[in-house]
Amino acid sequence: MSDVLDRHHVHVSGHGARTMVFAHGFGCDQNMWRWVAPAFEDRFRVVLFDHIGAGRSDLSAFDHERHGSLEGYAQDVVALCRALDLRDGVFVGHSVSAMIGVLAARQAPELFADMVLVGPSPRYIDDPATDYVGGFSAEQIEELLDFLDNNHMGWSQNMAPVIMGNGDRPELAEELTNSFCRTDPDIARHFARTTFRSDNRDDLAGLAARALVLQCTDDVIAPESVGRYVHARLPDSQLVLMQATGHCPNLSAPAETVAAIDAFL
Amino acid sequence: MPSSEASTPTPATSTSNDQLLDLFEHAPCGYLTAGPDGRIDRANRTLSDWLGVEPGQLVGRRFPELLPIAGKIYYETHFAPLLRMQGAFDEVALDLRRGDGTVVPVLVNARERRSADGRTVSLRITVMRARDRRRYEQELLDARRRADAATAELRELTHTLETRVAEELTQRQEAENQLRQSQKMEAIGQLTGGVAHDFNNLLTVILGGLETIERQLATPGKDPLARIGRAVAMARQGALRAATLTARLLAFARRQPLQPKPIDASRLVTGLADLLQRTLGATIALETVAGAGLWPALADAGELENALVNLAVNARDAMPEGGRLTIETSNACLDEDYVAGVPEPLPAGHYVLIAVSDTGCGMDQVALQKAFEPFFTTKDVGKGTGLGLSQVYGFTRQSGGHVRIYSEPGHGTTVKLYLPRCLDTRCVDTVAPQPENQASPRGSETVLLVEDHEDLLAYSVAVLRELGYRVLAAPDAAAGLALLGREPEIDLLFTDMVLPGGVDGRQLAEEARRDRPGLKVLFTSGYARNAILRNGRLETGMDLLPKPFTGEALAARVRAALDR
Repeated sequence: MSDVLDRHHVHVSGHGARTMVFAHGFGCDQNMWRWVAPAFEDRFRVVLFDHIGAGRSDLSAFDHERHGSLEGYAQDVVALCRALDLRDGVFVGHSVSAMIGVLAARQAPELFADMVLVGPSPRYIDDPATDYVGGFSAEQIEELLDFLDNNHMGWSQNMAPVIMGNGDRPELAEELTNSFCRTDPDIARHFARTTFRSDNRDDLAGLAARALVLQCTDDVIAPESVGRYVHARLPDSQLVLMQATGHCPNLSAPAETVAAIDAFL
Repeated sequence: MPSSEASTPTPATSTSNDQLLDLFEHAPCGYLTAGPDGRIDRANRTLSDWLGVEPGQLVGRRFPELLPIAGKIYYETHFAPLLRMQGAFDEVALDLRRGDGTVVPVLVNARERRSADGRTVSLRITVMRARDRRRYEQELLDARRRADAATAELRELTHTLETRVAEELTQRQEAENQLRQSQKMEAIGQLTGGVAHDFNNLLTVILGGLETIERQLATPGKDPLARIGRAVAMARQGALRAATLTARLLAFARRQPLQPKPIDASRLVTGLADLLQRTLGATIALETVAGAGLWPALADAGELENALVNLAVNARDAMPEGGRLTIETSNACLDEDYVAGVPEPLPAGHYVLIAVSDTGCGMDQVALQKAFEPFFTTKDVGKGTGLGLSQVYGFTRQSGGHVRIYSEPGHGTTVKLYLPRCLDTRCVDTVAPQPENQASPRGSETVLLVEDHEDLLAYSVAVLRELGYRVLAAPDAAAGLALLGREPEIDLLFTDMVLPGGVDGRQLAEEARRDRPGLKVLFTSGYARNAILRNGRLETGMDLLPKPFTGEALAARVRAALDR
């Protein structure tokens, strides 16, 4: 039981009859909920965790096959929620974790009664055959994946420890790197492939829980059309168009995010 | 800019505004600021020059819009959150898009100014060109990738090599097993001749016994029950001997892996003597000399027997006219000086020596040097595969021992097998010794019967005596000649063609006829490898009774030979 909680570096805080589970997206860890999650601690049991491969999760538990599809991540979520005896909880998922939450809810419908999907996208790549606009062409996603393979941006944070010889002086590496969102480059590449090549449009219709779609203004990763698509396909959902810009309203506009979730709940 | 500086103007302030503006616009790094919504409100000339645009063209855009698609995604998912959480990020490697579509590799630092409640007030970003650094990083990445690939390749290669070596070893082992078995079958082939001869003798004994019983039942003589009893005992003994022989042959032929065990070489040699004697034929005398206090040797018993059979076969072929084969066992110490002269790695120390010596034609230097090569043979086509000595060599080396040949053309050959001494004396495998040896039966009448096979001799004597003949019996040529010298009244020499002791039946007959030119001779033979077929015919006054024979046939042929 505690194994799965350790693996995901689970933090439980707050108190309440219901539990809220916050799931981070690609590129970050549970830190990204630091200005949103505390706002619910007075009414809910609040659960924060890192996906396997991110943050302080157990990297050795990363399985290229299991974590080669969002279903695998969803199984992780189901396992850790069951370890916490969750029923009729609230799932708050950002970015790719919004869809991971939908898949988890379909695997174990008893877990969540409410779903908050922040910047969700069931498919990032446009699908001209069905007139679906995901926001990216297939070539652009390939460019991203190629880019990750030649990860210059990650160089300074991921490679610095190697160049400095992190075995000898780990404290030096710690000073040099940006302290959040550090990931193993291999796992980051794998997660990016899994995320940006996913297509879970057909999973939306089967969601039993009621859902809130939080859509930012000018979100490069999940454009407004995608948010509207998700809202249209979910059986029982609300769509909130936020003032916040970018892809991370939980960081750029935490108050607005909290208010929107509050209103939904 | 700390506001305290701005609020204390100095005399130089009026001119320094231009200087500060110049410093901003033409600083050796790109610089931009953005408002709370992330939109650029000011960018310096250096940056706009690098990007090939007018500074005004940057105003109103968000920083991520300056990035190619991949950078944009990475910025939104990694660095924008980082900036919000840390308030800054440093040395982030990005590409900026230029007006003409090309990109500029840069390093970006960013600082957020926040209000008291944590909201973004403004954003400041510095941009350093990083073309050389990027190239260097790319080289490092490539080098690392090559190193990884090489490591993987090496690992794969090592793995493949290990697999291949294992496969080769298995194949080789399989081939060695097959070679060993074929060497053994070769030896079996050699043994079969001798054994067939023996078998015919035994069948003759058994058939004779049955015939005696039949005759006694039809026309009982004096004390028929006692005669029948003797005949039954004789037949049973013959059958039991045949069974023992078959069992030995089958044991020898059995396919089994090498199992080095402590063995008593002397007992093994004694146990094998019977089979060896069959292989050698009767014209070669076999002598075994067991060394006193012999150490146990560590070797595979079956392979040692195989080696001894191979050596015996070679010795036999080296002595077509007969001779002597001596197998001696003794303890041996090989000292440093000796092992230094041995080409193969061989530790100095205690060994058990088995020396196999013949009195044959020997080998010259050329043959000696090639003796251990597989398929090297001095024998005629069809007479040997040339694998015999190579088996001996392979076996000795595999046992951790050593083999050496001493040979003198015209005098003979000694092959010395040195097997490692077994220091664990707990269990010495005992090879069941072959008991019984021929003893000379004695008699005195007109037929001189020379037969090395005890049972057969007894049977033949009984048959002839029963028919009223006076029978003189001799187990070999020497005894036969002695009787011929002593007894003037011998009418018929009835002799086995194959005899022990170096003189065969034909030579015995020639010798006897030298003194008694008219002596009648009847040969018998079950198997005589070359003796009978050597010139294909028998001289006048000589006849051949093939084995196995019945008492009736014996009586008829003896009568006919005497009446001729």
